[in-house]
Amino acid sequence: MTVIETHHLTKYYANGRIQALEDFNLEVTPGMIFSLLGPNGAGKTTLIKLLLGICFPTRGKAKIFGQDIKNYSCHSKLGYLAENHRFPEFLSAERILYYYGKMAGLNRSYLLERIPELLELVRLKEWGKVKIRKFSKGMLQRLGLAQALINDPELLFLDEPTDGIDPVGRREVRDILLALQERGKTIFLNSHLLSEVERVSDEIAILKNGKLIEKGNVQQFISVKHTYQLRIQNGKAELPDILNQFQISAQEKDDMLLISVSDEQQLNQFIDELRKRQLMIQAIIPHKVTLEDFFIKVLEDSQPS
Amino acid sequence: MNSKILALIQITFRESLAKKTFIAFFGISTLICLLFMFALNLDIVDGMQSSVALFGQESKELIDIEMLIFKIESAVAVLLFSGGLFMSLFATSGLIPSLMQTGTVDLLISKPLGRFHILLGRYLGAVAIVGFNVFYLVIFSWLILSLKTGFWHAGFLMAGIMIVLTFAILYALMTLLGILTRSGAFSLMITYLILFFSPLLLQRDQIYALLSGKIWGILLDSFYYFLPKTAELGNITRLLVQGQPVFSWMPLWTSVVFGILMLTTSTYIFSRKNF
Repeated sequence: MTVIETHHLTKYYANGRIQALEDFNLEVTPGMIFSLLGPNGAGKTTLIKLLLGICFPTRGKAKIFGQDIKNYSCHSKLGYLAENHRFPEFLSAERILYYYGKMAGLNRSYLLERIPELLELVRLKEWGKVKIRKFSKGMLQRLGLAQALINDPELLFLDEPTDGIDPVGRREVRDILLALQERGKTIFLNSHLLSEVERVSDEIAILKNGKLIEKGNVQQFISVKHTYQLRIQNGKAELPDILNQFQISAQEKDDMLLISVSDEQQLNQFIDELRKRQLMIQAIIPHKVTLEDFFIKVLEDSQPS
Repeated sequence: MNSKILALIQITFRESLAKKTFIAFFGISTLICLLFMFALNLDIVDGMQSSVALFGQESKELIDIEMLIFKIESAVAVLLFSGGLFMSLFATSGLIPSLMQTGTVDLLISKPLGRFHILLGRYLGAVAIVGFNVFYLVIFSWLILSLKTGFWHAGFLMAGIMIVLTFAILYALMTLLGILTRSGAFSLMITYLILFFSPLLLQRDQIYALLSGKIWGILLDSFYYFLPKTAELGNITRLLVQGQPVFSWMPLWTSVVFGILMLTTSTYIFSRKNF
C-alpha cells in the first residue's frame, strides 16, 4: 500500500511554455518522512499543489491513499501547511483553528479539546485569543503547522515548514515531525534547509527544472561507499606500513584518517592487523558527506556537458 | 457538508465585519431609523391623520393614514433599494478577490471541500451579511412606522426580500468578474455600470429613434433581456410595498436566470482554475 503514487505526472503553465513538472513518477510508503529537494522553480511546490488538487495536471495521474487526486474526500486524512499561507488576520489563533477545523469536517466538542493541545504543542498557548495581525512570521508559521495538524492527519504536506522560525523553534518542529512519524504518520516535506531534511528524512527526491534527477534513501546518499573514518590512539608510525601491506589508500582529515577499502572483508582484515599489532582503535565509522554536498554534486552532475 | 459551508459563511461574515464598511452600513441604518423615530410625528383620529410633522414641519391637510403609510413605505423602500444595493456591492466587492489570493485558496482547497462548496460558502456569506444589514434596516423602520401609526403593513417587508434578491443577482456577476480578474475595483465598476445601465435600457425605444440600423435595436434588446433589470426590480419592489398588482414578473425571472447563469459560469471557471 502506498500513500502517494504518481504516474508520469506532468504540468505545464502558460500554454506549455513553462515546464513545471515533467513525467514525474513517485511512490511514498506509509510512516515515511519524504523530502523534496531542488533549487527555486524546480517544481516542488507544483507537485504538492497537484497532489492536493490546487492545480491540475497537464498529463499523468496521481493517487493519495489509493484514490485519484480528483477525489477530494481523501483530504479529510491529510494536513497541509502552505508556503506563504495567509490566514484571516482579523481572527484570533483559536478562531482560525476552529474555523479551519470545521472546514475539515470536525465537530465542535472535538475542536474544543484539540485546539488547546495544538496551541500548547506549537508554543502559542498564551496567544490563543490574540488576533493574528500581531503575530510574527515565526508565530504564523507555527500556527500554520497547528492548522495542518488540526484533524490529526495520516499524511502531512509541509511546504517550507521552518521558514521564518528561529533555531530553537526549528528544533521543536523537527521533534514534532519525528513524534508524528513514531505515531505512523507519513510526512511529505518541502524544504530548503538541507541540514533539517538530512536529520529527519527517510527518503528524498531531487528535482531540477521539473524533472526527477535523484531519488532514494538519505543515509545511502550521504554514506560514501567503502570509505571509513578511523581514529587510533597509538602506533601511528606503524600505520603507513600496514596501509601499504593492504594497498589501502588513505588521507588525513582533521584528527581522523579517511581510508578507502575495496570491500568489507578487506576492512575486517585491516582491523585484525591493527589489533594484532596492538594499535588501540578509538573509532571506525562509515564516512558520510553532508546532504548539502550530495545535493550540490547531483545538481552539478545533471548539468549538460 | 453543511457545517463546512457554515464555517465558510462565518469566516466571510467576520471578514466583512472586519472591513468596517458593514459597520458603517449598520451605523447609517441605525441613524436613519433613529431619525425616523424622532422626526416623524403623527396624530391619528379615526384612521385619518389629523396632523403629521416631519422634522418639525407640520402638514394640516387631512390624508387617509393608509395612503400616507404606503407613500412613506414605498419612498423608504426605493431609497433602500438604490442606496442599500450601492453600499452592499461596495462593501462586498473585495470578498471574492481575497478568497482567490495565493495562500488563502490553497488552504481551503486542501480541506475536504469541493471547489463548488468553497465558492458557494463565500457567495452565501456575502448574501448573508447583506441580508442581515438590509433586514435590520427594513424591520427596524417597519416597526417604527407601525408602532407610530398602529397600522401593521407586512408588505413593506417584501422590500427586504427584493433588495437581497437583487443583490444576490448582481453579486453573482461580481463573483464571476472577481474570479476572472481577481480585482475588486474592476468587478465593482462593471457591476455599477450594469446597475445604472438598466434604467437606460428601459428607455430603449427612445434610443432606437436616435440610431440608424436595425442591428442596434437587436443589440439593445439582447442587452435588455440578458442583463438584470434593476430599474424594473426597483419598481416591482415599490408595487409590492404599496400592495399594488405587479403586471409583469418578466424582469424578475429573467434577472434571476441571469444570476443563476453567472453563478454557474463562476463555479465552472473556479472549478477548473489553477492556483
